[in-house]
Amino acid sequence: MEFLIRHKSIVTFIFCTLFCIISLSVQGSGFTLTFEGIISGIFSPFQKGYNAMQGGTSRFWAGFSELDRVRDDLKLTRAKLETYEGLDEDLNEIRNENLRLRSLLGMKERLRYESIPAFVISKDPDNWFRTVIINRGSNDGITVNMPVVAYQGETKAVIGKIVEVRGSLSRIQPVISPDVRIGVKVGESKYPGLLTGYAFNSNLCKVDYITRAAQIKFGDPIVTSGQAGVFPPGFVIGTVVKTELPESSPYQKIIVRPVIDYNLIEEVFIIKKNPDKDLFELFEEMQ
Amino acid sequence: MIYTYLITAGIVLVSTLIQGHQSFDVIRIAGVKPDLIFIITVYMGYSFGSFNGEVTGFGGGLLHDSISNSPLGLMALPKLAIGFLAGMFGRSVLKSNIATIILMIFVATILKGIITLFLSYIFHQGMLTSIIDVIIPEAFYNAILSPMLFFIYDKIFQGELEREGYL
Repeated sequence: MEFLIRHKSIVTFIFCTLFCIISLSVQGSGFTLTFEGIISGIFSPFQKGYNAMQGGTSRFWAGFSELDRVRDDLKLTRAKLETYEGLDEDLNEIRNENLRLRSLLGMKERLRYESIPAFVISKDPDNWFRTVIINRGSNDGITVNMPVVAYQGETKAVIGKIVEVRGSLSRIQPVISPDVRIGVKVGESKYPGLLTGYAFNSNLCKVDYITRAAQIKFGDPIVTSGQAGVFPPGFVIGTVVKTELPESSPYQKIIVRPVIDYNLIEEVFIIKKNPDKDLFELFEEMQ
Repeated sequence: MIYTYLITAGIVLVSTLIQGHQSFDVIRIAGVKPDLIFIITVYMGYSFGSFNGEVTGFGGGLLHDSISNSPLGLMALPKLAIGFLAGMFGRSVLKSNIATIILMIFVATILKGIITLFLSYIFHQGMLTSIIDVIIPEAFYNAILSPMLFFIYDKIFQGELEREGYL
């Protein structure tokens, strides 16, 4: 016992090192997640409390300072609403025509998914891992692997997927994370590829495994293919900013700028869609 | 000593909040944030010995892992190791002045980055480009901030440091 006390720093160092190595070795197992969950559970009230205080103060201050801006916004919104009311009739006509054409072509009606709005309460605390924590969890019916989208102006785009769920918190793995893998289609010709984050602290993504023959140009859209069963097909992710043709590779690589600026994400929508089980399992096995 | 532990826990909590909350994203320069938990870890090791450094590093690292997408232990182990190493040198070996602090934090951050990269290669997914993208910019950022933070921590722990005979 005296030996332990005398050499407490070395003993503690060895014990903690062993703990970390064991935890890293069994990552993904119930043990690790449960332990992390305990720490996260202890810490999350502080995060939420701070978030509530900061939100409350901002709203209180906004009541004084942003009244004029809100008034202007209201005028603008009313004007927009009048325009949109005029468009409603046209839209109904187009919708009916679309339905009629789809039924003529024998296509299934496109699925509509319910979505849950959420606020970002925390973002990556380090420069190595991309993390977004939101204020919705299993209590709101959220499960792992649900896709998450956000709006930039009026454009909706994918920002990531849920990777961990607690009672009233969830963790999102954003599309710019190097750990993410999403099946995508590139350009108007829909060349298939695999999207991942570009680098640890970059806000760009890259798409690999695009055939060299594919003709891709700056600004071509990148949309989800829906092949892994997590993301519904046709959801926009970003646009092409650069293509690379490495001589040693049979494929070309594309650098992609996501539509949603990661630094500006504040409000997100979780799409209540569970992964297509068979497709998802097949994709996991392939990985 | 209880006072030191409580204040350290408070500083680690505040540092985690600052690093994790999106309203503090403004502190990001050239795509990187300073690692405030790491700076307090080195400070504790440097001022109060290996035991305090490694416990702060381990506890802070676990908190860090719990709010990050990193596997549990990936951020804790490098901080634990550097907290332990910083304690082996300490104030009695490295005299406290601005140049020493800047150099110590710079070297410590590089070491922490190399350990993290090494662990990422073994247990997760490593990218050599992170030396340029993450490790070096973070080392500069931490080093620039460290004299100010060390000065603040010196004021907070003044009583303890006087008892140890450093002030």
